[in-house]
Amino acid sequence: MNKSMFKLAGVAVVVGALALTGCGTRGGASAESSASGSAAAANKVAKIGVIAPLSGDLSALGLGIKNSVDLAIKQANESKAIPGWTLELAAEDDQATPDVGKNAATKLASDDAVVGVVGTLNSSVAQSVIPVLSAASIAQVSPANTNPSLTKGEDLANPKRPYANYFRTCTTDAVQGPFAAQYLLETGIKKVATIHDKKTYGQGLVDNFTTAFKAGGGEIVAAETINPDDKDFSAVITKVKAASPEAIYYGGEYPQAGPLSKQAKAAGLTVPLMGGDGIYDGNFIKLGGSAGDLATSVGAPVDTLESAKAFVSAYTAGGYSEPYAAYGAYSYDAANAIINALKVSLASATDAKSARQATIDAFAKVSFDGATGKVGFDEFGDSVSRVLTVYKVDGTEWKAEKTGELK
Amino acid sequence: MDLFFQQLINGLSLGALYALIAVGYTVVYGIVQLINFAHGEIFMVGAFGAYATWMVMGQPANLSVGMALGVVLPLMLVGGVVSSVVVALLTERVAYRPLRNAPRLAPLISAIGVSVFLQEFVRLFYGTIPFVTRIPGWPDAKSAVPFPSISGISDASVQIGGVLVQASALFTLLALVVCTVFLWFFVNRTKTGRAMVATSQDPDTARLMGINVDRVIVAAFAVGAGLAAIAGVAHGLRYGNIDFRMGFLAGLKAFTAAVLGGIGNINGAVVGGLVLGVVEALASNYLGTTAWKDVWAFALLILVLVFRPQGLLGAKVVDRA
Amino acid sequence: MNTVIPDRIKIAYRYPARAVGAAGALLMLVSIFLPWAYGTAALDDMSYYGAPSPLQLCFGVLALTVLALLTIPLVGKQRLGKWAKVLAWNTTAKTASITALITAAIAVTSVAVELGGLLNVEIGGWLVIFGGVAAVASTLFLPDSPEPSLDEVKSPKWLQILAIVVLMAVALFAAAFALGQVDAGAFLTFGSFLVAVVMVLRQFGVFGWLGMAAAANNRVLVISAFVVAFLFPFTQNGSNANMSIAAQVLIFAATALGLNIVVGLVGLLDLGYIAFLGAGAFTAAVLSESAYSHFNFHPPFIVTVLISGLVASLLGLIIGAPTLRVSGDYLAIVTLAFGEIFRITMNNLDGNDGPDITNGSNGIPDIPDLNAFGFNFGQPHVILGIDIGRFANYYWLMLLVIALIIVVFTNLNHSRIGRGWVAIREDELAAEAMGVNTFALKLLAFAGGAFLAGVAGAVKAHHDVSVTPDQFIFLESAFLLAAVVLGGMGTVMGVLIGATILKLLPEKLRFFSDYRLLLFGLLMVVMMRFRPEGIVADERRQLEFHAEDEELAEEVEEELITHKAHLNPEREVFEL
Repeated sequence: MNKSMFKLAGVAVVVGALALTGCGTRGGASAESSASGSAAAANKVAKIGVIAPLSGDLSALGLGIKNSVDLAIKQANESKAIPGWTLELAAEDDQATPDVGKNAATKLASDDAVVGVVGTLNSSVAQSVIPVLSAASIAQVSPANTNPSLTKGEDLANPKRPYANYFRTCTTDAVQGPFAAQYLLETGIKKVATIHDKKTYGQGLVDNFTTAFKAGGGEIVAAETINPDDKDFSAVITKVKAASPEAIYYGGEYPQAGPLSKQAKAAGLTVPLMGGDGIYDGNFIKLGGSAGDLATSVGAPVDTLESAKAFVSAYTAGGYSEPYAAYGAYSYDAANAIINALKVSLASATDAKSARQATIDAFAKVSFDGATGKVGFDEFGDSVSRVLTVYKVDGTEWKAEKTGELK
Repeated sequence: MDLFFQQLINGLSLGALYALIAVGYTVVYGIVQLINFAHGEIFMVGAFGAYATWMVMGQPANLSVGMALGVVLPLMLVGGVVSSVVVALLTERVAYRPLRNAPRLAPLISAIGVSVFLQEFVRLFYGTIPFVTRIPGWPDAKSAVPFPSISGISDASVQIGGVLVQASALFTLLALVVCTVFLWFFVNRTKTGRAMVATSQDPDTARLMGINVDRVIVAAFAVGAGLAAIAGVAHGLRYGNIDFRMGFLAGLKAFTAAVLGGIGNINGAVVGGLVLGVVEALASNYLGTTAWKDVWAFALLILVLVFRPQGLLGAKVVDRA
Repeated sequence: MNTVIPDRIKIAYRYPARAVGAAGALLMLVSIFLPWAYGTAALDDMSYYGAPSPLQLCFGVLALTVLALLTIPLVGKQRLGKWAKVLAWNTTAKTASITALITAAIAVTSVAVELGGLLNVEIGGWLVIFGGVAAVASTLFLPDSPEPSLDEVKSPKWLQILAIVVLMAVALFAAAFALGQVDAGAFLTFGSFLVAVVMVLRQFGVFGWLGMAAAANNRVLVISAFVVAFLFPFTQNGSNANMSIAAQVLIFAATALGLNIVVGLVGLLDLGYIAFLGAGAFTAAVLSESAYSHFNFHPPFIVTVLISGLVASLLGLIIGAPTLRVSGDYLAIVTLAFGEIFRITMNNLDGNDGPDITNGSNGIPDIPDLNAFGFNFGQPHVILGIDIGRFANYYWLMLLVIALIIVVFTNLNHSRIGRGWVAIREDELAAEAMGVNTFALKLLAFAGGAFLAGVAGAVKAHHDVSVTPDQFIFLESAFLLAAVVLGGMGTVMGVLIGATILKLLPEKLRFFSDYRLLLFGLLMVVMMRFRPEGIVADERRQLEFHAEDEELAEEVEEELITHKAHLNPEREVFEL
């Protein structure tokens, strides 16, 4: 090949390229709107974020949260709950780790369309997420954080709200623990051994239970802990058995509670094991929870509440591939709480970002009947609902034993 | 005093599990000076293999004692042992053998990789045909899976004075005794066993004597995996559930037990396991709250390494690093 | 791949191969002006005729490179002169086409995945794959070029410095562009493009020359690298999303650098290293003004950092003094046990099972932002009209810490202590026999590494706002180790790269997060098998020989290694 041919080829390439460039345009805006249709052009977009473990061992709970929020958003869009606005879901995985959760929160906070966030599942993740969202004035509603200090500060005797943007639809350990104590005392049980897994949730439950139980005249005959990574609880059970309690109160979740109950009974400690909503799960029974074991859970039983039935049937109709799991109903309520606040704050807003603070302010007036009962928030951001139910294992399922309100 | 004996029994049955796993560490270490970090996962795979066997048998439940102990349990044990051995040998072939002449950090890091990989593999793909479909009826291993009960073991117990001994604890101890006898026989009376001893004492001379070192290493991995699988089944029967993470802590404790007894020494692993189990049980009863029991176990490991690095019974190999 | 096709055939068909290859490259070039995707949502919108998206333009650069590599040599050896010899034209053409094909395949696969099915791949997408396959297949028929020797070409100093500065600026731009990709497919495609560029430059001989230039102008390199890193927040337009990740990467990298001393330089495997980071974080948290801390001693940050570092190194001494005498593998397990002891103890210091220091599993939340150097780290600042947010402040602080670490690290590495460490790593017995105080040096490495982790932990506590025991699990130690192993033990650059990969990829590829650990495990095994020295290999030995005659040094080195391996297969032959 000689030099001139080579030059010619080069010129041809360049000219060809230029010609092709000339015939197309990349004029963003006009093409964009025609592609995405006219509905979006008319409506402004506001996003509700979700921060939950969408992968890893807790993903079953996290995906239930995400789907339930998605359901609430879809329903709001269908009913045009907020005129002029379309709501969208922005779900982020926190892998149940504070670091990852903080990145997720930062990402959502940098998105100007995000006006509220549902999450997190874990209290430890919440501790990292709340400050980020608080700095950006984004309302956060947790369906599952039960640690009282998140709303009342470190000194529970002199509560002081640390973050004005944080609310929750679930009740705290400070409600569930005492309710369980009340129930046990009423059924005539005076000597209880407590065991917990040394995690935020479990320890919080047991601490609050202990205080209330002692105040009601009961006696804590043994206070033990387990390592949640352990499988062998025999040493703890032997120690507890020696104190001959009439019941065991366990703070923790079902993966340990089921085997614990089973091992206790096998070791001859045949007293009921009671826990919080962390063990109120079908898997507790599969893993060894036996007849007579008790659990408290927030709200009235699902089959007695119209709003709850509506949620369950809508979720089933929604065709989600994962079940709504333990916190689905709370998440649905959390999303609806945000939507209710948005009805006020977005009404006069020009863009989503400027409505963030107004959304937080609007939470004070939020009040409606949700899937878990009445939804509203007190001056600390805690749920006003104090209705709880005690469930008992009967055969292979949980049966509602008693519904009441904590006085 | 009842309390003491009860805790002693608890400790011995827990220790028997540690011992069964520890043998695997010790045999492999004795021959290739490799801490098979993934051995805890082999134990876990054994438990899941046994569970799979039970599923394949059609989830037999509510059987007579004879049927359960005579047919179902042996089949589950075989299934567990086979899956553990297969996985262990694959691991050896893929992750360790190519690194045999590499510096010692390399196989150890590779072993950590295998450990994480096996855990995640079971978590993500147990009960599925990977990336295709879930096998209907199989539980997913993302959370704990209830282990089938075997009549005669899961539900029975013996009362001796104030001490309640569960059949599952007896089964674990019995398994340890049987395995120890089998191991003694294997090591001292079979050709492969003696080749193993020779290789652990001097691999170069052993090779010169015509011993196929590769085969000996494979045998060591297989024996360790087999015992770990039996431990896996015993674990499932004793505690009623298995999960993909069960191997991490158990493996760590079992390694502690192996070092405690003197790594490379099979009898040492058995003794170390039992001692560690008893120490844990008694410590949780008599030394502060139970929350510290793992701290005592690991502190014991550090103390042994400082004051008696060759372990209680003395290591059969000198650390050549 | 070089041996598949006999040289005879290669020589015979080299012109047709070149022509087909050039045609393939031309096809790839044309394809960027055609749409690759049917919908607009995939990657950065590749659905236009004649208007390439930024990623398509990037790809165009690759295609043009292949074209140029194949056509320029046609002008003849005489005209090319020395450039025919010092640059590896043919081999690079092969590398460029392979990496281009891979990049195209990633882009097309992403389009198919994100839009749901291969149906959504448009004409351009098919054309680019076709062109890529043609280019790869034909370049395999090209005769191999000799190793490039561009580094031996004399070049003026101004050119070297200019090249370094340009390289750094390009790196900054590329990093900002990569982080700006929200779409996972776009991120992967761009990542693949970057890898392709690096591979091509390396193969072509440019990296050899750059390496020479960098060695000759070390100071310029280091300073420009830091200037670029310092400028990075300005490319983010006040957005916090990437700065938060960047700050975490630096914290992680600082800790990994500490571990690098212990593992990479001295060869002690520490599997509980995260405990030192935890010790620093808890110390800083307890000394902070958090309402959950029960201490009434709140020293200024400089003091806190020092205390945190000292506490961590004290722990290092406590754990190191008894165990460093037992060797090798035991140490790995003891440190692992120690990591567990640390976590359990932090969990137990809650007032129930022990004294109330750490609040148990709740940890210490509400740690206030740093207020040091007359500057509140929580407040956004406006510099040059660009918002600098909270995370950028911490990013700069960590940059400072890392700069210090690197200065200390490189100075140590080239000192008597560093040589002692390497001696221990290579052969402890021999080192001891030669009069190296191995125990003291190991202890120093352990405590020093722990100190660095403690310092990083102190910043982490404030950056994270809360410190809880479950942040310091074994898996985190494994990640740190992986960062060191992946990047290259004993090298600073390698560890920085390793830390970035391990922290950044999971954030950018969140859809992948369920398989994250599975791949992580696999990666560790594969790395140990195929490239145990990591992405960036330690070149210490080469530098210890004549700096000006590296090739000879390498040859001698290789011969030594193979010779040793041949004589005694039991010996440790490769260098970590």
